[in-house]
Amino acid sequence: MTSLWPRLEPLLPRVEKPARYIGCEDGARTNIYKPEATSWLLTYPDTYEIGLPNQGLQILYEILNERPDAFAERSYAPWTDLEAEMRRARLPLFSVDTHRPAAEFDIIAFNLSAELVYTNVVNCIDLAGLRVRASERADSDSLIGAGGHCAYNPEPLADFIDFFVMGDGEEVISEITDVVGEWRQTGKPSGSRDTVLHAMARIPGVYVPSMYNVVYDGPKLVSVEPRHSDIPPTIQKRTIADLADWPYPRNQLVPLTEVVHDRLNVEVFRGCTRGCRFCQAGMITRPVRERPASQIREMVSKGLERTGYDEVSLSSLSTADFSGIEKVVADTIDEPGTCGRVSVALPSLRVDAFTVGVAAQVSRARRTGLTFAPEAGSWRMRQIINKLITEDDLYGAVRSAYSQGWHRMKLYFLTGLPSEMDDDTLGIADLAQNCVEIGAEYTKKASVTVSLGGFVPKPHTPFQWFGQNEPEELQRKVDLVRNKVRRNKRIQLKWHAPDATTAEGITSRGDRRIGRVIEHVWRRGGVFQEWSEHFDLSLWQEAMNASGLSLDWYVHRHREEDEVLPWDHIHAGLHKDFLWQDWQDALAGYGLEDCRWTPCYDCGACTEYGIEHVVASPAPPNGGSQGTGQDLATGHLVPVELRPRASIGGT
Amino acid sequence: MCLRWSTCSSHPNGWGTSVRLRLRFSKIGKVRFVGHRDVARIIERALRRCGVPVTYSEGFSPRVRLSFGLALPTCYESDAEYLDIPLDPKSIVDGDVVCTGWGEGNTYSTEQLRMTLNEALPKGFEVMALVLEPKGGPSLQESVVSCTWRFDMRGAETDSVEKAIAAALESSTIEAERKKKNETLRENIRDGVHDLRIDGTSELGPMVVAELAAKPRVIRPSELVEILAPGAELGVAKRTHQWIEREGERCEPLTPTNSRTVKDLT
Repeated sequence: MTSLWPRLEPLLPRVEKPARYIGCEDGARTNIYKPEATSWLLTYPDTYEIGLPNQGLQILYEILNERPDAFAERSYAPWTDLEAEMRRARLPLFSVDTHRPAAEFDIIAFNLSAELVYTNVVNCIDLAGLRVRASERADSDSLIGAGGHCAYNPEPLADFIDFFVMGDGEEVISEITDVVGEWRQTGKPSGSRDTVLHAMARIPGVYVPSMYNVVYDGPKLVSVEPRHSDIPPTIQKRTIADLADWPYPRNQLVPLTEVVHDRLNVEVFRGCTRGCRFCQAGMITRPVRERPASQIREMVSKGLERTGYDEVSLSSLSTADFSGIEKVVADTIDEPGTCGRVSVALPSLRVDAFTVGVAAQVSRARRTGLTFAPEAGSWRMRQIINKLITEDDLYGAVRSAYSQGWHRMKLYFLTGLPSEMDDDTLGIADLAQNCVEIGAEYTKKASVTVSLGGFVPKPHTPFQWFGQNEPEELQRKVDLVRNKVRRNKRIQLKWHAPDATTAEGITSRGDRRIGRVIEHVWRRGGVFQEWSEHFDLSLWQEAMNASGLSLDWYVHRHREEDEVLPWDHIHAGLHKDFLWQDWQDALAGYGLEDCRWTPCYDCGACTEYGIEHVVASPAPPNGGSQGTGQDLATGHLVPVELRPRASIGGT
Repeated sequence: MCLRWSTCSSHPNGWGTSVRLRLRFSKIGKVRFVGHRDVARIIERALRRCGVPVTYSEGFSPRVRLSFGLALPTCYESDAEYLDIPLDPKSIVDGDVVCTGWGEGNTYSTEQLRMTLNEALPKGFEVMALVLEPKGGPSLQESVVSCTWRFDMRGAETDSVEKAIAAALESSTIEAERKKKNETLRENIRDGVHDLRIDGTSELGPMVVAELAAKPRVIRPSELVEILAPGAELGVAKRTHQWIEREGERCEPLTPTNSRTVKDLT
């Protein structure tokens, strides 16, 4: 075992925030090195502050380190100042746990949470001292893997990554470890890399791009076909049936330097079936699997005692939907060990489920930031995206919050949605203005922050066929809202740069040819593209031109029904005809109910894999419209037309 | 009549509302790269884990009251960091600390509390001394007059450093450069250099011991390296002492009570 620490240490006084590179977190494993064991380097391709809190990485870190025949360490992308020092000193990428060189690990596995990190992935492989293209790596080189939400369209990174993992990693990571362990024992002789990759391609949920041929007809994609008969033509995602079997992380890492989400995190459920049509996470993580409330309570209590944190986040895709959320929040605040000084963060809130009751519970301790996501400015638009919350739902939630002592909240919207008209966009400003007016009834300090993101259509969603808005159009829409709220001092508008949205669009629905573009941008120094100080759209445009590819064709073009999509061989359970029908329903303004509380419409996510929702309560939480768009509190009917059930669904 | 005063004065410890813990702790090894604000957060978490009966600031977002001595620059080690923690006076019984929260049910002598805190702190941090005392007097930050440092100079020659030191001490001026926004200030720091000598060598270069003033401004070892060995780099620097004046005598706020139980610092 070689530690690079003696060579790294002298570089650290010269760089910003050196504590990012020392490891030493409570919960970190430093005495796990076993020369005979299969080793993983779990790598987050962005800064330590962003990557350290990532729960997926921490869960896999613990599961692997519980195995006697394996161990895992962690690595994060060094910031550009350290990277320059490392390249000058010929110091390779290292783990923060024991500072071993990355290339000494059997597997380097990347978490893909956002598309704009792809150039950082390539950079990390290069910093590890390996050839960036998978086809050029030697037999005994580390295997490069990737997982996370963006892996559901693996093709743009197919040139660089040896294997992708689809879906929940808890179980499949052990199956991969077994296969790689056998390969390790053979001594990784010449010619063996192809054999181990072939064996991995047979593990359900694992995609090895080099085992598949891609056929084009001009710009059109014709097919992605396996090269061997024993390899599946479609790769099925992995799903753990019951979150209660996986109470991880048991020992959440406590960093010594401040990171984003610097608090205890307990995942209360996985999956979401609200069916928002723009939301990839909600489509690919189905079904809903709630953690038992008693287990949550235990994880909160043990976690706070072990870490000393005074804030806990109850995380999920929509935490207010958790059965009995009020009780869970109350139990957390009443935990005797905290002396009443624990604050609860509910990071993702549906406005129709955020009630005075929940607000009152949360506000008993220090008030955490509140973010609501109406997503669109008009009811018409919200029907199209199937975010079936009414204006009254939003105002009810906002009123709950202001009345319980909050002064400010954040409202999250998307712009550039399918069929969005200027009236819909301007509706964002109206909603924001009405919200601060409600706030003014309670406090002089009332304000809202409006966060406006440009919509990027994502694979495996009903909107995957939609042509993304041009950056000029997105900017025009941002300006519409900006001009309307400019005079209102209580409204602060933030927006995502339309240029970055465009670059994200290239990689989001790109095919294997986009690999050349990513490599070009990386070679021209385009790393940390998530960061405004490093992002440059002209690099991407130049790379597209150099590769002979059309930005318009990849980003702004509407797709056809019979078109082969680059991710058609990846299966998230959802039937393609279900998605197409939902896309047609969207354009027709039909809503679709949340199936966790209503009968199944067979999207495929459960039926394909023989699994079901795990939900403690058979009824939706009280208040609001609960996704039906109808005011359940008063029995008043809001005119949303739900698509007749009989004609929906799969084959 | 002041109600608060009357209730507090009846406390058996006789200190009223003014009781605090004063800690001396070290920061050694990889954790030397952790910044000052982060150290405060680390200590806050350790105090919570042990259930030390701390007090909180008022306001919208109450924080644990902590008051540190002179901030230690990031990348420096130390054997002499100080921290005052005001405690809830009701929690002191017969000179012992009665814990709350996650430490509910535990009553510690100061020595037991010192060991418990060390268990809760990350490797590299160690509480060397801990006393319970009445609050009052000037803050640590105001009262420190100078610090002693021990550091090595990467890439410097012992002989030439020795000569540079001798020349500097003989002279009445030691000129330092300081960058302030866009201008470079030159100033004489001779009066702020109380002690300066070579004390052996490390694998990096000559080891220097220096006592440098904390007032009117803090003089840092990195400034001396530039003067004594231009082109060399500061290696690992450690603050070994912070000095205050008590009744005209120079002394340390706390001296280590025990020989240090050195934790594994790999």
